[in-house]
Amino acid sequence: MSTLSHSGDRDGGLERIYVWELPVRLSHWLIAVSIVVLSVTGYYIGHPFINVPGAARDHFVMGTVRAVHLYAAWIFTAALIVRIYWWFAGNAYARWTDFIPVSARRFRSLWNSMLFYSFIRRDPDDYPGHNALAAGSYAMIFAVYVLLIVTGLVLHASEVPPGSPFHVFGALAPWFFGLPMARLIHHVAMWVVLIFVVVHLHFVLLASLIERVGTFESIFSGYKFFPRKKPR
Amino acid sequence: MSKSRLTEELEHRGISRREFIVFCAAMAAVLGLPEEATPAIAAAVETEEKPILIWLEFQDCAGNTESLLRAGHPTVADLILDSISLSYHETLMAAAGSQAEDVLAKTVREHKGKYIALVEGSIPTGADGGYCTIGGRAALDIAREICGNAAATIAVGTCAAFGGIPAARPNPTGALSVADAVPGVRNLINMSACPANAENITALIVYYMTLKRWPPLDQYRRPMFAYGKTIHDNCERRAHFDAGQYVEAWGDEAHRQGHCLYKMGCKGPATSQNCPVVRWNEGTNWPIGCGHPCVGCAEPNFWDTMSPFYERLPNVAGFNVGSWIDPVGLGLTGLVAAAAALHGVGEIVRHRVGLGPVSEDGSET
Ligand code: SF4
Repeated sequence: MSTLSHSGDRDGGLERIYVWELPVRLSHWLIAVSIVVLSVTGYYIGHPFINVPGAARDHFVMGTVRAVHLYAAWIFTAALIVRIYWWFAGNAYARWTDFIPVSARRFRSLWNSMLFYSFIRRDPDDYPGHNALAAGSYAMIFAVYVLLIVTGLVLHASEVPPGSPFHVFGALAPWFFGLPMARLIHHVAMWVVLIFVVVHLHFVLLASLIERVGTFESIFSGYKFFPRKKPR
Repeated sequence: MSKSRLTEELEHRGISRREFIVFCAAMAAVLGLPEEATPAIAAAVETEEKPILIWLEFQDCAGNTESLLRAGHPTVADLILDSISLSYHETLMAAAGSQAEDVLAKTVREHKGKYIALVEGSIPTGADGGYCTIGGRAALDIAREICGNAAATIAVGTCAAFGGIPAARPNPTGALSVADAVPGVRNLINMSACPANAENITALIVYYMTLKRWPPLDQYRRPMFAYGKTIHDNCERRAHFDAGQYVEAWGDEAHRQGHCLYKMGCKGPATSQNCPVVRWNEGTNWPIGCGHPCVGCAEPNFWDTMSPFYERLPNVAGFNVGSWIDPVGLGLTGLVAAAAALHGVGEIVRHRVGLGPVSEDGSET
């Protein structure tokens, strides 16, 4: 019988810990849904695979897809801004200090998690928030999000009407060696994010299976369940 | 009012008053000015003192000169640029050799700080400037002297504006744009494109003659009237782009129907120019109009950044990454997903058969 999964029964029940506050859950799901929408529409924009027959005036396929991509991009950006704001305003599990390992405690967590994931250590980190390894990967993926947003804005700047404030982002085009290279970076970053999504899903479900603390459910409810600490 | 020199020239060449006014109206259109601007332009062009132009050719193919001449019948535009005010242009002037150089020296001496320098071609700095010399002087020397003493310098064509093809990787001659070769040059205006559109060059000069100032510029010092919008924004195939109708192969049905060239690598969405509006060869046609995707010739470093011309995505120094990044990305994501699913199923099975994780005291569960 697993002490991890069922010790609660023995040691006087489970403790309910509020880990993910509403802004964290909300931004998580807005980011998740917009990533799916942005990837599908983005792939079509890069490779318009639908062959539209008939007269041009009767159709607006690319136009619609681009509009959806644009609105989803705004939702994505807004959600990311909320999440980054919550890095400074949220609870301990949401704060930036939990994402970028600057304290000795987080370094230890990083080390333990690395040992756990490389099958050297058999018990997972029992910290209610992110383990330091996962959190570090989220911090990196946030950087990729920012890269996606910036390259997106640079590409967007070339198509806004004259006088739009978004023209200012055109000034960043040389940073990316021109618009085509900005577009290529936008593509590569999308694949990095999609691979991250797959790995993320995998680890969340696996953690739920092994750790039995409600990891998967916590992103809906906000709560995780831990066995009450026995006195050591 | 006595006849101006221009009016005489026009009569001499058999160009009617009507044709002249049509030209002025066309200039107003290119500049995005209202119709009422036409008389003002006509008055300025007719009566104002013409600016003195010096046309320098360095590391180039003379394509801009060709564009300007637009072989065939002389137009009012040629007349204004060529007969009236062009003091020095090696390719066009009758004088040659030291005679030509004397004209240049004399013009610079007499009109110092007042003339307009037009530069065509990039300026090589390699081999101590030995890659391009005129009358024994390095291009860099000449550019610094002539542009340095000009009221304004117009870099005509992408080579002069951004280095262009000579400056493309690996840039064997150390070619520079005017901006880089003559730092701090006064009133530099970049008229990029390969070649620059004669209509725009003429419009720029006419703007200056009419309003006595230079037009608003974009971040690459190109006039907004000609480079304020992308090709894609004014493209006649845009309706097909928005509908989702694309050419997939040269000569396919969509190509014959004039559908969008996006999938054939069109760089119209990344290129700022007024080609779709002004067109070429006196409005006859333009590249996309005749079925060829835009190659982005008006943009900085287009030879490096916009190539391959028939692909949507660029290459990264030697890797043919543009064409395979998305299939590879898709494949990698699929592989990772398959591995994750396999591992997941394995874990579930392991737990079912009781090989779950080990508890702290080391006993298996
Ligand atoms: S042909 Fe090129 S510029 Fe024209 S609509 Fe298509 S992508 Fe845009």
